[in-house]
Amino acid sequence: MENEKRMIVVPGEKVFNDQRRVEGGYADAKGTFATTMAMVHDDRLVPLKGYYLPKPGDFVVGIVKEETFNGYEIEMNSPYDGRLSTRETRERFQVGDVISAKVADVNEIHEPIIADPRKLGGGEVLDVESVKVPRIIGRNASMVETIKQHTKSELFVGKNGRVYVKGGNSALAIRAILKICKEAHTGGLTDRVVALLEGRE
Amino acid sequence: MAASEEKQMIVNGKRLDGRGFNDLRPITIKAGVLKKANGSALVEWGRNKVLAGIFGPREVVPRHMTNPKRAIIQARYIMAPFSGQEEHGRSGPNRRSMEISKVSKHVFENVVLTSMFPKTMINIDMEVLQSDGGTRVAAITAASVALADAGIPMKDLVCGVSVGRINGQLVVDLDKTEDNYGESDMPLILSPRTGEVLLHQIDGKLTKEEISQAMDLSFEASKKIRELQVAALKERYESVLAEAENGNDNGGGN
Repeated sequence: MENEKRMIVVPGEKVFNDQRRVEGGYADAKGTFATTMAMVHDDRLVPLKGYYLPKPGDFVVGIVKEETFNGYEIEMNSPYDGRLSTRETRERFQVGDVISAKVADVNEIHEPIIADPRKLGGGEVLDVESVKVPRIIGRNASMVETIKQHTKSELFVGKNGRVYVKGGNSALAIRAILKICKEAHTGGLTDRVVALLEGRE
Repeated sequence: MAASEEKQMIVNGKRLDGRGFNDLRPITIKAGVLKKANGSALVEWGRNKVLAGIFGPREVVPRHMTNPKRAIIQARYIMAPFSGQEEHGRSGPNRRSMEISKVSKHVFENVVLTSMFPKTMINIDMEVLQSDGGTRVAAITAASVALADAGIPMKDLVCGVSVGRINGQLVVDLDKTEDNYGESDMPLILSPRTGEVLLHQIDGKLTKEEISQAMDLSFEASKKIRELQVAALKERYESVLAEAENGNDNGGGN
């Protein structure tokens, strides 16, 4: 694959001639193939679509879905709901509350165990595809910091693709995030996002 | 099927609609046509119109069907009452639609990486809005694109075509008339990458040699269908990429 050129691939399309264990890839005797829509760039496979699978250590934004006898069920923009035990927190939550939290563990029956919940209030929540999160955050958090500086909004980007925006020019922040999601597979995106934030686009 | 007098469906070396023996009907495929489904696709194949929608992976309902090791696939093929004159009586859930739903489920169970999503279910719904022969193949081709649109990981994009015999001649992609009055019809679903056959059914009779020939013809035809599936999926990304690259070349800077 050429260094500069970005190539879009579909499931079943060959991406590498050798067998590699990469996210979004499937290796067999003939090489590595894409399993979802993805982009190949600089010898890397970057999925463009996918679902959030909770992993220990991830910081996420969740919504309280149900109160159970020993805690809460948290909806996490994922096929799996998180479990928050009342032992983990002093705060009481209600159905519909938006919280930031950490995935402490994923148990043997694939349930994410949530800890360190903090209620978020007064802002907006935006759901995007979790595969776009690295682009929204940027290298060393550069992209998200740029958005925060320009819009003066409070931004929390959950690994699960759920973004919490509060205050400042939140509408502009959301537009910037949606632009990143739409153009995540292109080059020169940082400059175009800055142009949007400065009102030049 | 065959009446006492065989219906002439080949005239001057061409089929009734003017196609050659190995020609496909015109096919268009569009991905992401439904905003509420996780993934969707619309396939117009000759006079067939099939819409596929995907929901999931999500919690299994009813709960007792949950598989702790993998996602379960639920496939539903159904014909709308307005899909055709005869279909008005054949529409809705019936034994035929249950059979096609079942074989479609088997196709996707072998293609979707279900072990990545244990304890969830993936719903594949295929609605035939207009039917003119070869709807199961069109439906599965649409569902395959819809699954990719939904971001559900798969080993390959599958597609297929039906091959059959009319007036003693093997032909590719039978339409309704050819299916009704022909001697046999054999729908196939293939994985072009691996060469695997995921669905293989047959109505009528074919000799062993004819089946072997028919398989070769199907693989050949599937290459073209796959190109259309790939183009439908890449369309949105490539247009954004081209726009961005033009903007960069014109001084957007990098």
